[in-house]
Amino acid sequence: MVSPAIALAFLPLLLTLLIRYRYYFVLFYRAVLVRIWKDCVTGLSREERVFQYVLTHATPGDPDSILDAFDDWCSKVEYISNIGPKKGKILDRLLMEQSPLTVLELGAHCGYSTVRIARALPLGARLYSLEMDQRNAAITEKVIRLAGFDDDTVELIVDPSDEVIPRLRSEYGLERLDFVFMDHWKKCYAPDLQMLEGSGLLGKGTMIVADNVLFPGAPKFLRHIRKSGLYKWKVHRATLEYSKGIRDGMAELVYEGIK
Amino acid sequence: MRMQKRRDFLKLCNFIYAQSTESWGEFFLGGRRITRMSRSSLITSENDIDIGLELTGDEDDVSTLQEGQERKRHRGRRKAGEREKKKRPRRNREASAAGEAKEEESQAQPQKGKRGRRRRERTEAEEAEGNQRGEEKHAKIKSGKAEKTRKNVRNEKTQKKDQEEEEEEEEEEEAGSRNSKRKKRRASAKEEEKEEVESKHKVKEQTQEVKEKKKKKKKKHKKVETSSEQDTSEEEDKDEADNEEIGVRPESLTPEELEKLKEAVDERKKLIQGLRGKPWPMKKKLVTLRESQEFVEKYEGALGKGKGRKLYAYKVMMNKKWMKFQRDFENFKTACIPWEMKIKEIESHFGSSVASYFLFLRWMYGINMILFGLTFGLVMVPEALMGRPYGSIPRKTVPRAEEASAMDFAVLWDFGGYAQYSVLFYGYYNNQRAIGWLKFRMPLSYFLVGVGTVAYSYMVVIRTMARNANDSGVGDDNSFNFSWKMFTSWDYLIGNPETADNKFASITTSFKEAILEEQESRKDDNIHLTRFLRVLANFLVLCCLAGSGYLIYFVVRRSQKFALDGLDTHSWWERNEVNMVMSLLGMFCPMLFDVISTLENYHPRVALQWQLGRIFALFLGNLYTFIIALMDEINLKREEEKIVKFNITMWEASLYNGTVSENSTALPITIQPADVPRGPCWETMVGQEFVRLIISDTMTTYITLLIGDFLRAVLVRFLNYCWCWDLEAGFPSYSEFDVSGNVLGLIFNQGMIWMGAFYAPCLPALNVLRLHVSMYLQCWAVMCCNVPQERVFKASGSNNFYMAMLLVILFLSTLPAIYTIVTIPPSFDCGPFSGKKRMFDVIQETLESDFPAWFSKVFSYASNPGLVLPFMLLMVLAIYYLQSTSKSYKEANVELKKKLQTQNEENKKKNKRAALKAQMDLEEAKKATSHGDGPEHQKNNNASLKDQEVDWEDNQGNGPRLYRGRNERNPSALRIKECHLPATNAPVPRSHHHGSHGAPGYLPGLPLQSEPRMYRVPSMQRH
Repeated sequence: MVSPAIALAFLPLLLTLLIRYRYYFVLFYRAVLVRIWKDCVTGLSREERVFQYVLTHATPGDPDSILDAFDDWCSKVEYISNIGPKKGKILDRLLMEQSPLTVLELGAHCGYSTVRIARALPLGARLYSLEMDQRNAAITEKVIRLAGFDDDTVELIVDPSDEVIPRLRSEYGLERLDFVFMDHWKKCYAPDLQMLEGSGLLGKGTMIVADNVLFPGAPKFLRHIRKSGLYKWKVHRATLEYSKGIRDGMAELVYEGIK
Repeated sequence: MRMQKRRDFLKLCNFIYAQSTESWGEFFLGGRRITRMSRSSLITSENDIDIGLELTGDEDDVSTLQEGQERKRHRGRRKAGEREKKKRPRRNREASAAGEAKEEESQAQPQKGKRGRRRRERTEAEEAEGNQRGEEKHAKIKSGKAEKTRKNVRNEKTQKKDQEEEEEEEEEEEAGSRNSKRKKRRASAKEEEKEEVESKHKVKEQTQEVKEKKKKKKKKHKKVETSSEQDTSEEEDKDEADNEEIGVRPESLTPEELEKLKEAVDERKKLIQGLRGKPWPMKKKLVTLRESQEFVEKYEGALGKGKGRKLYAYKVMMNKKWMKFQRDFENFKTACIPWEMKIKEIESHFGSSVASYFLFLRWMYGINMILFGLTFGLVMVPEALMGRPYGSIPRKTVPRAEEASAMDFAVLWDFGGYAQYSVLFYGYYNNQRAIGWLKFRMPLSYFLVGVGTVAYSYMVVIRTMARNANDSGVGDDNSFNFSWKMFTSWDYLIGNPETADNKFASITTSFKEAILEEQESRKDDNIHLTRFLRVLANFLVLCCLAGSGYLIYFVVRRSQKFALDGLDTHSWWERNEVNMVMSLLGMFCPMLFDVISTLENYHPRVALQWQLGRIFALFLGNLYTFIIALMDEINLKREEEKIVKFNITMWEASLYNGTVSENSTALPITIQPADVPRGPCWETMVGQEFVRLIISDTMTTYITLLIGDFLRAVLVRFLNYCWCWDLEAGFPSYSEFDVSGNVLGLIFNQGMIWMGAFYAPCLPALNVLRLHVSMYLQCWAVMCCNVPQERVFKASGSNNFYMAMLLVILFLSTLPAIYTIVTIPPSFDCGPFSGKKRMFDVIQETLESDFPAWFSKVFSYASNPGLVLPFMLLMVLAIYYLQSTSKSYKEANVELKKKLQTQNEENKKKNKRAALKAQMDLEEAKKATSHGDGPEHQKNNNASLKDQEVDWEDNQGNGPRLYRGRNERNPSALRIKECHLPATNAPVPRSHHHGSHGAPGYLPGLPLQSEPRMYRVPSMQRH
């Protein structure tokens, strides 16, 4: 039988792990435990809950207040992995600089990033937003309408990205994408990017922004962009949304084409 | 990638280099440009040779101060057209010798500014035979008569004829095997050449020739002395070299030429040697190196002729072989340094901080080898060979009660059973004064080795510290913070792209941080927060230390209880509780400290020192708790010993009583040594404890390595394919190499060795084994499972900090050992000192019995407190004196440094002033000489028909441009760059240029130019 003294000697290790990875524990608690608990208690999904909150706390037709409401809920009540205010600012800046006319968003989730992008777009630009999940898409639709964007500005496509991308040219009449924002399944980053390359929708100067490339992380995606040589790229280092200690990055790629 | 990073980083340095380049570019402007011109204007057949010869010429210049000076002189001469005519008689004189004809040529040539060009021209002229020097050539080659007409008074016709014959013959020869032999012939030394000539021609001629040569030599000498003629000789060389290259001329064999060639080769060699220190861009260095090597390769072996040549070639070959051997030997020596390559590789991957640990490990290994040699050679081996064999006496026999389990692995692993009753431990040694046929004084040797190992360790550590103290310069770190960061932060030993990336990033961040710090030092708004956090961190660490101390204390008390109960009634866990807990705490507490230290926000180097200090405190606390526990145990054993002693007397008495009653003779035979009751022998117990501690410590280290590093790395690597987040970049990641923990582990391990080595002679051997294994294991682990630290920082080369800690530990670990030796009497029935009152009595015993009486008397006097105390006082005084003197020296050093700095600044100013003055002078001179330039050019133009245009342009452009360059800084700099770059493309190595450039005190820009100008002006006026 192991003596208690030896067990006590492991206390420093435990403390070390707790302190070093405290942000991860907090994240685990907020994103998983609280979510399960709330799901059981309220019987609503997380997205429905956040929509309720936004509906009660935000001014309709004002994208800023909607975003604020989202941020409030995500940092204080529960956790949803939106792009978050800090990385969102980077995204805003990139959009302002680029002022793209055709934007593709992969993974709308519950509409936060869609609103964020749509509000930064120039007049006459069009945002195609992809969402795989039906229920999430419904919420997204509501959020978009709440923010005051109509069908001309934002088109929500409810389908998995790997099915939609090949059809973009034929069904949606797209010739060229100016801006692509990726925030869906991290594993789909690399194949979707390759699909985009193959579809010929990327032109010289097309900007692709991918969130969460470090945490949860998309190593294959990073490896691909590093090796392909088609892009000028950099990773904006930041922390994970609504969390201070977890490092994350947002990759910014500019398509250069084959030289 | 690494290179690029470095390049980025060194861009600024390049700026400075560029500036300096410009300045000396300007300095040599004329020469370079003209070379280029000539190249463009003339047919260039042999580029590389040309370069080599250019060098030859240039090297000659070394003697004459500046190239420009000569050029001016040329110009001056050109101006004075009659001068040539004046010279002619002399030239004719010279022309008498065939070889000297070249000199004439060279003299005829001064019109041209640049030798290289001149040479070229000549080549062509020779081909065309229609240029300015045609006359001379005719005189030389075609007809001896022409020469005769112009003949010298001194030279006789016959002689001349002979000469001509010589020439012709040689010419023929060359025609026969021109290409192959050319160089060789050219390259022979004077005497050798002469010899050859002798062999070819009649003996009579020889004498004359010798005379002639002498004359020529004299003449030359004169020329060199008179500065106006300096260039002539050089030009000669040039011409000779030229001829060599072309191979058209038989005269190429003149000794001067050979000498020059030799010199050139030597210069090249020098250049190659000194290339590393030259402040050039790497590309230029490489090009220069390659060319110089080619040149040397080409001409070195060929210097020499006939017999001499062979000898020379042989010499050169042997020289080369010798060099190669030396190089190989160096390599071999490097290869002989154990683990050198491994450490270098690690250094390149992880930076110098990680490498410093391995260097330290290697150093430690060396020390332990010597300790091992001492104990093994002077204690263990003699005892094993010459001492009484196992089983002869009770202390060398396993007791009857333990015999059954004495060979069990579990027992042996605990160093009980047969391991306990062997040379490995103190108790096995006998107190016999001298053993074996050597009369080896075993107890004395044992004692002296124990003292000697500690003394040696002190000596080595202190010596190393002193040596390192010299290296760690007197640099004041605070004064040029950013400059230091800028120029010294790159770790040039990094050879791995990832590490280079990290280093690059860390430098950038360090800059950011430094700037922020500067800003914050003015604001200091959250300094209180930082302070609070630091205090908090220290408080937490203290809590942690106290906790771990208490835990160990608790465990030790428990173990004493277990010991009283008897060890057999408890499980393995409980028996090894103390060691386990100590190892675990030693492993985990540093991690906790590390986490806590992130609160403090120190610079990594400072953080490392804090971390080291904390772990040091932890380990020390643990060690001392352990020692205190051991002391308690020793006291217990001594109690036990008393009882046993009493029992033994009883037992013996009973035995005697029993035997006496029966038969008095049968007594010794009946008792087996294993049956004899014996004392607990606390010394062996202490030794065992230390050995066990070392073993468990080693095991923990290795297991941590395997689990914490290797297993983690494997999991991260292979689970990453099927995990939902990026394991490599995110949560578990790979581990970093923990420098502080490892260093501390090593140091404390060594402390334990020092403490326990007296009671367990096997400890140094064990430690050597451990270090050997951990060297390989850790090298492997660090290369395969660790990632470079995120903040790579440069450990100071002289890790005196480690040494200081080692010294402290050495002191602290010898304390308890000395205490036990001095205060506790040895066990009565085991060990080399059994039967004595104290262990050090062995010295006294030896003095009394092995030395003459007077010696012990002297010794006793010397050890009298009345003598010892004054001696101690004297030592203290001496130390005080030395310390104060060293302090004053240090102050003087600082003063001198300041002085040096101010002097440097003054020099700068002076140089600036001189440069300005020189500029003024030049302007004046320009005014004075502006008319003089015209005629010169005209003459030049006459010189060669072909180059006329180019030359003219060249010269036209030359003067004004030079002057303009001096007057207006910026345009000139630009132009110089233009001129300079092509020159580097077809490199023209000029060693003396670099020498002058590298001279201390020069700064890029102004001051460098001042000197040449100062020289040029007077020379111009002179002509």
